[in-house]
Amino acid sequence: MKTKNIEVVVAPREPHFVGDGFRVHNFIPSGYHLDMQRMDPFILLDYNSPYYFPPTDTPRGVSVHPHRGFETVTIAYQGKVAHHDSSGNSGIIGEGDVQWMTAASGILHKEYHEETFSKEGGYFQMAQLWVNLPAKYKMSSPKYQEITKSQINRFQLPNHKGEIEVIAGKYKDVKGAASTFSDVNMFNARLEEGAEADFNFPTTHNTALLVIKGKIKVNGDKTIGTDHFVLFENEGEQFHIQASDKSIVLLLSGAPLNEPIVAQGPFVMNSREEIAQAISDYNLGKFGYLED
Amino acid sequence: MQNFTKYLKAKANIAEPEFQTLIKKIKVKHIPKGNVILRPGEVCQHSFFVESGLLRAYTVDTLGKEHIIQFGSENWIVVDRSSTFFNEPSDLFIDAIEDTDVVLIDPQFITQASEISASFRKYNEIALHNHIRHQQKRINLLLSASAETRYIKFIKLYPDLTLRVPQWMIASYLGITPESLSRVRKELAKKNFKQN
Repeated sequence: MKTKNIEVVVAPREPHFVGDGFRVHNFIPSGYHLDMQRMDPFILLDYNSPYYFPPTDTPRGVSVHPHRGFETVTIAYQGKVAHHDSSGNSGIIGEGDVQWMTAASGILHKEYHEETFSKEGGYFQMAQLWVNLPAKYKMSSPKYQEITKSQINRFQLPNHKGEIEVIAGKYKDVKGAASTFSDVNMFNARLEEGAEADFNFPTTHNTALLVIKGKIKVNGDKTIGTDHFVLFENEGEQFHIQASDKSIVLLLSGAPLNEPIVAQGPFVMNSREEIAQAISDYNLGKFGYLED
Repeated sequence: MQNFTKYLKAKANIAEPEFQTLIKKIKVKHIPKGNVILRPGEVCQHSFFVESGLLRAYTVDTLGKEHIIQFGSENWIVVDRSSTFFNEPSDLFIDAIEDTDVVLIDPQFITQASEISASFRKYNEIALHNHIRHQQKRINLLLSASAETRYIKFIKLYPDLTLRVPQWMIASYLGITPESLSRVRKELAKKNFKQN
């Protein structure tokens, strides 16, 4: 099996705020190497590296906004976030939990720091991904999967050196907790110092990793630090990581949809006409209503 | 200057040699988000053609409340005509809601373009009529239409602004309270939302 080499290592950009509750480094989409097509079907990745929010009586977050045409996935590492949407779903996710929201034909949602977390303040650390939907599912019904830490299956590394949490897809024989609309792998590798793990993904997949915590060595040579993103070449299948410190690594690999991507603000469709339709439908209340 | 070039060549149907003469007189300016480019009392020397980004023109009343007269997104022209064309001190604020690139058009440009290009002169005349038509309709809506009708006309005129500006600004443009705008949107959702 051929080694999958690193195409590029991306340092975290200057952070910006999404609403007032998410202080994120944006990795996808960005011009150089990482437009929406390059990591298709992962069309957005914002990472809130650990950031202390002081106590407040008014929860911080993002007010009501629409989405159509894709899924939003929020992975909580520290802190708690509350979600409400116009399909009537709501939930709170905390450390180790994942929220997988399928916006599909259209949803309004809001995301705020959970009330007690807001009142007490604390460190907040989360990743948010947008996973594109195949054209034939873009107008399917919205869906919400709240995946708690205990529901996520794990592959145990030998000698208690850590575990691979399989959020979606498959690692060795361990199957992911989330149901997906295309071939998507999403893992959290939680590694003790010195732990090693191998990963195999097809050459047809787009593959990347983000170092959430610690420091790792990829394929025995290149050291990758905290908050750094690694885009792999498509060529080759297998790569190896070794934790130089106690580490957490988010791994992403997916089969590209290879369909046209037309994005405007919170909508990602296949044509300009579909975007115009999304805007019109949103303006006319066809996504429902949600109080802020 | 891609949009302005398109505007001059396609909409105003200006031929290449005339275009080359005119384009030399044009200046482009970047206005960072939040920057004010016109204040009441100032005389504005230009019309602003929005290349990219978003401007708004507004007044502030004696109680400090803002009243938005116009939004200007890509390909719109924002101008205080009494100031630019009649040399009067402006009543308006114009500021950038987003990082904005504008093309500065001075009155001499309009005069010269009209002199050297018959098609520009004709286009400018139609554009003025269109502007006046739009103002008449807006006055009528503000005097006589329901909040819902005003909102429906707004989303036809500015489809993507609901994604780009906060609700209170839309309410200010429509001459209604933010609460009324929320009510209108809620009622529309009741009528139009079909749960899958």
